[in-house]
Amino acid sequence: MKYIGFAFALIITLSLGVALSLQFGSIPPLGKLLDPNHGFWQNSFTEDQIAKEEIFFDGLIAEVTITYDEDLIPHIFAENEEDLYRAQGYVTAQHRLWQMEFQTMAAAGRVSEIVGPIALDLDRMTRRKGLPFAAEQGLQYLETSDTESLRFLNAYAEGVNLYINELSEARLPIEYKILNYRPENWSAYKSILLLKYMADMLVGDRDLEYTNLRNMLGEELLNKLFPLFPEENDPVIEAEKVWDFEPLQISRPDSINYPEEDIFVKTMPQPVPGIGSNNWAVSGTKTQSGKPILANDPHLGLNLPSLWYAMQLTTPEYSVKGATLPGALGIISGFNENIAWGVTNATRDTRDWYAIQFKQADRLEYLYNDQWIQSTFRIEEIKVKGQAPFMDTVVYTHHGPIVYDKNFRAERQDVNFALKWTAHLPSNEQKTFLLLNKGQNHNDYIEALNHYTSPAQNFVFASNEGDIAIKVQGKFPLKWEGQGKFLMDGNDPRMEWKDFIPNEHNAATLNPARGFVSSANQHSVDPSYPYYVFDNSFEHYRNRRLNERLRLMGNIRIEDMMELQFDNYHLHAAEALPVMLNLIQADTLIAQGNPNSDYLKSLMAWDFYTNPSQTEPSMFDLWWRYLNRSVWEEYIKSEKPVVLPNKYQTVKLLQNESQSPLFDKKSTDKLEIAKDHVLASFDSMIVAVEKFKAEKGELSWATFKNTTIQHLVPNFKSFSYEGIQTGGGANIINATSERHGASWRMVVELGDEPSAFGIYPGGQSGNPGSKFYDSFLKKWANGEYVNFKLRKATDQQQVLFKTTLKP
Amino acid sequence: MIRFTALLILSALFILILGPFFSYPVLMIGVFILAYLVGGSGGISFFAGGLSFGLIWFFQAVYIAVQTNSSLPEKMAELMGLGESNLLWVATGLLGFLLGGFSALSGSLLRNLFKKKRDQGIYRY
Repeated sequence: MKYIGFAFALIITLSLGVALSLQFGSIPPLGKLLDPNHGFWQNSFTEDQIAKEEIFFDGLIAEVTITYDEDLIPHIFAENEEDLYRAQGYVTAQHRLWQMEFQTMAAAGRVSEIVGPIALDLDRMTRRKGLPFAAEQGLQYLETSDTESLRFLNAYAEGVNLYINELSEARLPIEYKILNYRPENWSAYKSILLLKYMADMLVGDRDLEYTNLRNMLGEELLNKLFPLFPEENDPVIEAEKVWDFEPLQISRPDSINYPEEDIFVKTMPQPVPGIGSNNWAVSGTKTQSGKPILANDPHLGLNLPSLWYAMQLTTPEYSVKGATLPGALGIISGFNENIAWGVTNATRDTRDWYAIQFKQADRLEYLYNDQWIQSTFRIEEIKVKGQAPFMDTVVYTHHGPIVYDKNFRAERQDVNFALKWTAHLPSNEQKTFLLLNKGQNHNDYIEALNHYTSPAQNFVFASNEGDIAIKVQGKFPLKWEGQGKFLMDGNDPRMEWKDFIPNEHNAATLNPARGFVSSANQHSVDPSYPYYVFDNSFEHYRNRRLNERLRLMGNIRIEDMMELQFDNYHLHAAEALPVMLNLIQADTLIAQGNPNSDYLKSLMAWDFYTNPSQTEPSMFDLWWRYLNRSVWEEYIKSEKPVVLPNKYQTVKLLQNESQSPLFDKKSTDKLEIAKDHVLASFDSMIVAVEKFKAEKGELSWATFKNTTIQHLVPNFKSFSYEGIQTGGGANIINATSERHGASWRMVVELGDEPSAFGIYPGGQSGNPGSKFYDSFLKKWANGEYVNFKLRKATDQQQVLFKTTLKP
Repeated sequence: MIRFTALLILSALFILILGPFFSYPVLMIGVFILAYLVGGSGGISFFAGGLSFGLIWFFQAVYIAVQTNSSLPEKMAELMGLGESNLLWVATGLLGFLLGGFSALSGSLLRNLFKKKRDQGIYRY
């Protein structure tokens, strides 16, 4: 009996010990998690409570001092660049290790390893798009042509790895504890992957959707609904710019034939419309101080831990400060003693699709220029948590990887679409930022940009010497008119792009007469630019509002630029709403005593601002959404993937051609015109508004749009923040919508000592238990900033703590 | 009672001092050995081991929460579907109690096993 008693007790004890250290489904290992010495309790400490004064770092050349200011912004003082990047790696890992690793896992198509089969489709897409392949190309390129950058990337990796290797169970970021895995070593490859991930995040294309649309609408109507340039083009490079180069010649080949068939693949997710960024610089002639002021606010997904991590990097030669991307070297958007720079996405179609014909089902040979060419196979092994690995074979042609085929997202057996993308090219984006960090003048800036391939960016620039500039930089294929807008024939060499627009011909301007440069993801140029520039997702509103404001402003101070970054004027509404009200003859409706007159009156009196407490933006937003859905219903319901005309063109159509047959719904006997859609959608809006008010008790814009800063694992709801009280929205300069917005705001005034301010929605710490996890959030929502002025090693004020790295 | 107090204090000290350096399975083995050495009855060992383990974990959790004033316990409680972050202290203590209690019980029953063998040797025949 006693044996049984003992055996029983022992079994319970062992089961408890083992079971509580294992993960069951989504339930984390509770014993490990609740252990006060190693589990989540240990993540309650803020960084200053666990700070170390000295850390020994093997391989360091000289001592490095790191001063953390009261916002936990590290200021790294190193004697040389190699040590600087070692320290950057160490410090970043200290506060953002889980995030930087998770993002590179996503970029490598390895999320399934962490979260299980739910991410398999995502991982397959990432791999089929060739992101890991692209990063390998990038690494190879550095090994052969830029060993200095590689040395710095390796130094950064050493720093990250030092932190990982000395990481105790207690200090492990909480996400590892909950998801039950451990960090692996960092490498230069991972940093490159991260930059490719940015390219993936920012670049889209609609070639397959356009192919379907061309078949549905015909070329003429397609061009009308999707014109190359909008009526009111207000491009990045001022329209008056006179091009000072002799362009390369290219013309559309005769009798070119696009594949005509309809496409039924589940196309990949695209960058969300309305995301993008603003940047601008005003020259000294327009500022109070007589020195240029530069502003940048990149809009990306609003996530926690924040995408950006603020830092100052100092060597005896230079001192640079701004926003870094955890995992990448140097400052990405920032300033030093001499220059300031910022980035916005320069969207352009640099991703094209080729239909490939294979000789046999084994896909070993494909047709190119009427000859059979050998393909190569890349076997992607995707590890899946709790399951056997998934093997995916991706066929590579000289165009690029076959993304869609019988094994992936295509219904038909003979679909083989190869992706050609500039991000696959060997490139060295990292070098651009390393050079900008220590740049001193306009020439240095141009030289730095020459290394930049993808994702194309509008790099804004200002210098202490008084220059302001902007350049649309990326490696852009030299395309004939219309090339790559649709799915192309992989057999026909004339369909291929082979050359690139030289860097010197990329659109750029220096000290334009208007006294400012700016970009907001709009068209890069005006039609006089001698190369074909096409993309589906150009901005039409933020740019015009921004430029209008900048044209009018004078005697500008830093505060004015901050205010402009927080500008809530809704230009799209200001253009669309009067048209809509006019179409339904709102005045008459009110005079007739329409039961919804109050709503109409309130909309008619709207000043078109989108401040958090206003209700009109909520009404307009709903009305527009219903209207847009109603007008393009037939396209939305199409079983083939298509893309809809943008807001701007839709408003033009409502305004100028309200009787157009495009408004007729083929499913009804009646002949509909624009007015019918506007009236019906107005009624739908009223129903939705009443319902929303009944549920939430109010209709304020902030409540309605529900800006949410979400943890990278959406299930970790308590690590996220919902219902942020802030205004703005898509296509508004303060582009804060529900899930996207200014992920970083910076304003810099150049001078003997630059003045700078910055903010982002989050905090320096990646640890949800730290008070620095969300310490910037409220300020960000209110349009406030923290001081980002350069610090000296000897500055003693507002120091949270200091750490010395010793060799 | 002496054995109860002895095991309570010894295992509490053991968990307090070695807790930061070892993961909880090591602590369980420690409590198991201590219970074997102290040699209380099953019930006494279970409660002494359980209380020492549970109370140390409970107070360590409370101490960290008070010392850091962090919002993490609330966030974790929400994430784990517990309404109140105070419940997390209780859960931590309860888990500690179970780990300590069953480890000590196993240790004491093992000793009981050997004791019994000797007893049988003397009184048989």
